[in-house]
Amino acid sequence: MNKLLLILPLLLPLYGAILCLFFWFRPRAQKIVSLLAQLGLVSASLYLLLHVNSAGIIKTQIGSWPAPFGITLVADLFSCLMVLSSSIIGLALIVYSLQGLDGARQRFGYYPLVLLLQLGIGGACLTGDLFNLFVWFELLLICCFVLISLGGTKAQLEGAIKYVTINIIASSILLMGIGVVYGTLGSLNMAELASLVRMPETDTSLVSMAGMFFLLAFGIKSAVFPLFFWLPASYHTPPIAISAFIGGLITKVGVYALVRTFTLIFAINLELSLPLIMLIAGFTMVIGVLGAAAQKDFRKILSFHIVSQIGYMVMGLAIYTPLALAGSIFFIIHNILVKTNLFLISGVVAQRHGSFGLKKLGGVYLLQPVLALLFVLSAFSLAGIPPFSGFWGKFMLAKAGFDAQDYTIVATSLAVSLFTIFSMTKIWNEVFWKKKPAEAGVENTTHEMEPESAAARTTRRLMYVPVIFLTLLILYIGLYAEQLISLSGRAAEQLLNHELYIHVVLSK
Amino acid sequence: MKTSILGTAIRLLVPVFQLFSLYILFRGHNHPGGGFIGGLIGSIGYIFYAMVYGPKEVVHLFFNFSLYVEDRADHRSRTQAYLQTLKNNTWQRKQTKLPKEARKAREYRLEPMHLIATGLLLAVSSGVLGMLFSGGPYMSALWADFYLPILGKPGTPILFDLGVYLLVMGVVLKITFIMSED
Repeated sequence: MNKLLLILPLLLPLYGAILCLFFWFRPRAQKIVSLLAQLGLVSASLYLLLHVNSAGIIKTQIGSWPAPFGITLVADLFSCLMVLSSSIIGLALIVYSLQGLDGARQRFGYYPLVLLLQLGIGGACLTGDLFNLFVWFELLLICCFVLISLGGTKAQLEGAIKYVTINIIASSILLMGIGVVYGTLGSLNMAELASLVRMPETDTSLVSMAGMFFLLAFGIKSAVFPLFFWLPASYHTPPIAISAFIGGLITKVGVYALVRTFTLIFAINLELSLPLIMLIAGFTMVIGVLGAAAQKDFRKILSFHIVSQIGYMVMGLAIYTPLALAGSIFFIIHNILVKTNLFLISGVVAQRHGSFGLKKLGGVYLLQPVLALLFVLSAFSLAGIPPFSGFWGKFMLAKAGFDAQDYTIVATSLAVSLFTIFSMTKIWNEVFWKKKPAEAGVENTTHEMEPESAAARTTRRLMYVPVIFLTLLILYIGLYAEQLISLSGRAAEQLLNHELYIHVVLSK
Repeated sequence: MKTSILGTAIRLLVPVFQLFSLYILFRGHNHPGGGFIGGLIGSIGYIFYAMVYGPKEVVHLFFNFSLYVEDRADHRSRTQAYLQTLKNNTWQRKQTKLPKEARKAREYRLEPMHLIATGLLLAVSSGVLGMLFSGGPYMSALWADFYLPILGKPGTPILFDLGVYLLVMGVVLKITFIMSED
């Protein structure tokens, strides 16, 4: 039973991608295949979450090689939550790209790439082996590279080159770290490493050094200060269906790996690494939000906000109490949903009005009041206004910070929240509220907007479906926060209870 | 690069490369070799052929299949027609019973992309087969309990290697075709 549950989130997207390869150049068939695979993936990961929730951590040994020698797949609550939220996002994005992506990109392998990206995220979250983690990250890197450069416009290639260069450097640093770990401890299985590191006779100085390699590598991949500069440079170049997926998910997988390794393996000599992580978290929040305040493009503001929000997730790791880690996990899930939704809304706006520039947009509130409502809900959620989901994440983090008496970071995070509201208000004012600016030569642009063919209307309605779906989910998380809070609380307990993890993986 | 020596030699060498690559593929379980290197060796012949005669010629010669189909006569059932098509294309392929006009040749083309997809499908499914029939986790090996004359004991790992073989060959051919078209 466990073997099937754990392998299904990997097999379903892989089989979907293979079928899509058989239907190369036939986008209609690819659409059906990828929708079905994605639906299957959502239900499989939901079932996995329910099972892990009731039965505790589960594992399977690939190829029946026992634990420290073969590759283990492990699912605890945190990884299940990651897999589930990423599959939900994948579903929403595939529904969105049925209408929101141009035909050429759909024909040249968009769907198999998205499914392979899903496979990479599932693998990175479920693996229990360090080198295997590296391989999954490589898969993510390659898929992202192709997706960003798919279409081959000049801006896209420029963004893709920046992205791939910095990420290859990160990967090689990660590989060096893995080499140091293997050289000093002689194992790559995370559970065995966790038990080796905690033995008194182990020389931990080299392990801490390897931990810095991991911090650097995952730091680049999750775009923390001062290594974030590649993200705003590349994430806004591809079409919205692609940048929403990458922007919403990939950096969070980096944060996931950071949390996983630093709670399991590098959880020694924490008095050295935690202050550093704390410093990184604070600066990431501040720099990200200041960068966003300076931008005048819908997507660029959102890209900088990704950086700023990563700071909150890392802050939970830096405080390192059960409540703080729970806050981190809650915040990751909330942020994956909200950020993707905001990107999608910017895509819907751009599809109707043909621009992402704040200067050129305007008057959306009059034309599309429903969209404005959806935006407000998501933006409030991102900024953390009380009943919405962002509030609970920030509340948990702030409370944990007060309990641990880290007043500086709490003050920083609260100040950053204010700036987030400022950015969201700026988008609201410029895109939705102000009058549509009259362009030179066209005296009344709203007049030109009026005639809309039936086909265009269906297109627009179909593009609303994933946005409404995600907004409902965000509202659900916000208004019925109890469930997810208790889930992430238990996930954090599992993270800190390393003996349980070790026992499950290494037992027969 | 049209030298007559290479041009003549490569015609003879393509089957040699192909056979040698299969040999490498099957010895790979216990000795150096296997699907990856086998696929690379297998594609060498086609690469040389494309260098001499151009990629279109390679596709035409090795990856195009023509099926001879007849129009179905009214009194025949669908099954009979399929059987007739099968017969036309297998043991009666060489005999030209029908005049040229009555036989319609339908061209089918094997794309490198199909090789890639088939290879992936084989490799992934070998793990699933092992999981379903041996009761172990994913990728558990499943072995038959008899020996085949040359190949040895068949099992799911050979399916995986075969998948890798096709995948590597497909990728290399795709790259070659695209690069030599420019």
